[in-house]
Amino acid sequence: MSDLNDLWLDVQKIFPILNGKITAPTQPIDEELFENAYRQLSKLGGIETLATILEMEIESTIRNTLAPRFWKHFTTDSQSTKAKSEAASNIPALTDSNALFFKFIAAIDELYDGYQCLQQIKPNLARLNKGAQAFPKSGDRKTNLHNALLAQLAPTFNSFVCDFYAVHFRLFTKDTSLSSTTLDGEVFSELPCVGCNFDHEQCCCQKLTEMVNETNRKLAKMDLIDRLAGSALTALIKLKIKEHINDTCLGIFDRSHLKKLETWINDIVMTWLTTIFSECKSKDDISEEKIPKSVQAFKVKLTYFMYETFAQNVISQFFSIIIDYPDSTPAIDDLKICMEKIDMRVLLTESLRSSLEARILHPGVNTMDILTGYVAAIKAIRHLDNTGVILEIVTAPIKDYLRKRNDTVRRVVTGLTEEGPTDLSEELAKGEFIKDGKDAGLNEFSNWENWEPDPFGIDPDVLELSSSKIIRSADIISMVVDIYGSKELFMVEYRNLMADRLLSQLDFNSEKEIRNLELLKIRFGESLLHSCEVMLKDVTDSKRINAHIHSNGNCDETPLFDISSMIISAQFWPSFNKESLQLPEELENEFKKFTKAYESYKGNRTLNWRPVTGRVNIVIEIGERVLEMTVPPTQAIIIYHFQHKNEWSVDELSSLIKVPPSALRRRISFWQNHGLISETEPGIFTLLEKASEKTQFEEMNVTDADEEDLESAMASASDQREEELQVFWSYIVGMLTNLDCMPIDRIHQMLKLFASHSGGVEFTQDELKHFLQRKVREHKLLFSGGVYQLAK
Amino acid sequence: MAQNISPEQSGAGGSSKHNDDSLPVKDNHAVSKRLHKELMNLMMANEKGISAFPDGENIFKWVGTIAGPINTVYASQTYRLSLDFPNSYPYAAPVVKFLTPCFHPNVDLQGAICLDILKDKWSALYDVRTILLSIQSLLGEPNNESPLNAQAAMMWNDQNEYKKYLDSFYEKHKDT
Repeated sequence: MSDLNDLWLDVQKIFPILNGKITAPTQPIDEELFENAYRQLSKLGGIETLATILEMEIESTIRNTLAPRFWKHFTTDSQSTKAKSEAASNIPALTDSNALFFKFIAAIDELYDGYQCLQQIKPNLARLNKGAQAFPKSGDRKTNLHNALLAQLAPTFNSFVCDFYAVHFRLFTKDTSLSSTTLDGEVFSELPCVGCNFDHEQCCCQKLTEMVNETNRKLAKMDLIDRLAGSALTALIKLKIKEHINDTCLGIFDRSHLKKLETWINDIVMTWLTTIFSECKSKDDISEEKIPKSVQAFKVKLTYFMYETFAQNVISQFFSIIIDYPDSTPAIDDLKICMEKIDMRVLLTESLRSSLEARILHPGVNTMDILTGYVAAIKAIRHLDNTGVILEIVTAPIKDYLRKRNDTVRRVVTGLTEEGPTDLSEELAKGEFIKDGKDAGLNEFSNWENWEPDPFGIDPDVLELSSSKIIRSADIISMVVDIYGSKELFMVEYRNLMADRLLSQLDFNSEKEIRNLELLKIRFGESLLHSCEVMLKDVTDSKRINAHIHSNGNCDETPLFDISSMIISAQFWPSFNKESLQLPEELENEFKKFTKAYESYKGNRTLNWRPVTGRVNIVIEIGERVLEMTVPPTQAIIIYHFQHKNEWSVDELSSLIKVPPSALRRRISFWQNHGLISETEPGIFTLLEKASEKTQFEEMNVTDADEEDLESAMASASDQREEELQVFWSYIVGMLTNLDCMPIDRIHQMLKLFASHSGGVEFTQDELKHFLQRKVREHKLLFSGGVYQLAK
Repeated sequence: MAQNISPEQSGAGGSSKHNDDSLPVKDNHAVSKRLHKELMNLMMANEKGISAFPDGENIFKWVGTIAGPINTVYASQTYRLSLDFPNSYPYAAPVVKFLTPCFHPNVDLQGAICLDILKDKWSALYDVRTILLSIQSLLGEPNNESPLNAQAAMMWNDQNEYKKYLDSFYEKHKDT
């Protein structure tokens, strides 16, 4: 019995762990003692049992002592310092974060010591096991340790690790940033040390680095870096990447960042990681190949993350990039590279759509600015993605919105013909070149070798809906004109604008107009612009005819005034608005004379005068004043009538010159501003002989006259549309009278079949629906059960 | 500026220049073009009491509507007709029939109409509008010499009786 007791004491001496102690044996174990105990044990056949007991003891020590003790470091005061540590992670307050830092180091140290002790048992245990061959190889101690540790993971642990490595990273980057920025060392030394935040004199970077390296080595020895610190490390690096990208790239589009970022990842982040992972390299040669591999895997992950973060960063600023377009090309190039690696299309389209909506698609923005944005977006997105799919999806809301603005067409046409921020005129000049490219796109099937699939990552429904590839790759002008889906509308508006220009600027720049016209013809085809050509020809013809009639001298008496006419072919000009003006008889006679001269010159043709449009040069002598000016005919006629009679009532004058009173008042205000006429009583206007009030209005003259110039002689596009709709209405009445009731698509189809011959512009079903609904509201139609019928 | 009218538009009255002795041309395109033009004129004229429109996608088949002439027994009644244009139109008359049953001396129970301008008196100068106007006036002034509906011809003389019968006939059949 005493033998057994002695033996047990011996065994306890050899394996102090059996007492629950995990301290290392103070002196090396006596070889003889071991041999003796071993022999006795094997005699008793208790070696296996002992080994098992030892294994279990070790395991339980790990689970019950080592791991809890380790975690205790992080949990004991976690309650009290929780708030503090949270604050500390936000503010890089030195003491707090460093406290965590040191705590971590202490914990690791303790853990390592315990581990070390356990390791020392190993050789003896191995010797025991050697005796008992049958005994199964004990589980890896490291695995045990890992399992035990992870099973009791403390919730706040990650923030400790994070802080620890954050400090490490700071220490590490300090070296590199020092080497690059310490040129002005004096300034630098006054700042706290970047690494440890202490003043430079007390900089402890060196010390800290050593501590960190030591800890790392210990962790590596226990194979714990990846397990314990892996996720925290990744999170930290991701955070650092984000910060770095925000610091370096935000708002800078005019140079490429990707290369720099890649070198940054390589030079700094990767070397740092390598130092962490390879601390143990020199001592532990088993892992020599393993470590670069894991770092390598890390690198791939991180590079992708960097691309993703960068792309997100660029995408979030894409609107600004669009606005800066030609200057921001490098940023777009960067994004392009990212998009090749990562699928960001959906994100891009979503974010761009919403930012466009927020930034330009609201009533506060000028149509011109929206157009400028639209054109820039087209250019920028095309640069990014030349298939045009993204473009189509992103710009759809802009198009929809522009369609709702009534001055869009006018702005586009103005942009096409004049210098403006949209560069449309420039694009127009490039026209020919682009058209060649377009032709190549047409025979898509013949050069199938160049076929490219539609980009992925886009909802196939959208692709299905969106038009063919040819349209998608159309040029900017087509994209702009495409807003309305038809060229005709634009050409009609162009014609209207041109008519206005020709009529208001009698000395127009024909060369420029002809050039524009030619360019437009290249793009839109001859037939649509035929009437514009006739209009230009009318103008030059008129000049010739005027010259001829004046030179002919077949007027016997000298005329009261010179007439020069603009003879236009009504068929080809847009219809005029329906203003009227009755000329005084003596003036009308002059026009009649001119007509006669024209008739004799042109055989069986005659002239229909339109007195409202034009310019009159007048000289007004009143009192001591002599005014010489060019005014619209209505103004001239008004003042003309005042030369015989000083006082007119609005009604009187209105019936005499056949101008409605409201319009007449507006015209008279022109003369009021000039101080020639005043409204002495409501509705009564009197000529002012004296120039008393003149100066007061001097300023206003100019603006008012300008306004007058802008007034269009043409019927507005919406008026014209109304007329067209009227035509359609008679067709609709016709078909509903005879065919009783019809659904909208049938009506639309019938109109397309039978009414489009009347020269009406195409008519979408949507438009028709609006029109029919209006008629329903006007009680001219009934709508029930999906069909329309005439109201009885 | 009448001189500047485009040839296409001046062609509106151009068909009248055709000679009657010129052979009927089987040119569908020209015929449909003329029918389109007639449709447009009809729609634009917006004449009260008569109307017609192609019945479906085929421009050669129309449906017409005429209102009974005022101050006749047919007043306030409306009649549907079908118009079938031959390929040789306008050199041959269209086939016109009543779709709404019509009690009338010159209209049989199948809707066929006895009207000279639709038969031997046809001329290329007539068009849909004049045909419909002629039929409309025929309602008020039947030709009792050559009746297709003998009963109607006999009853015609007593306008009151005729009106009574006609109204009940119309009420009975107007929706068929």
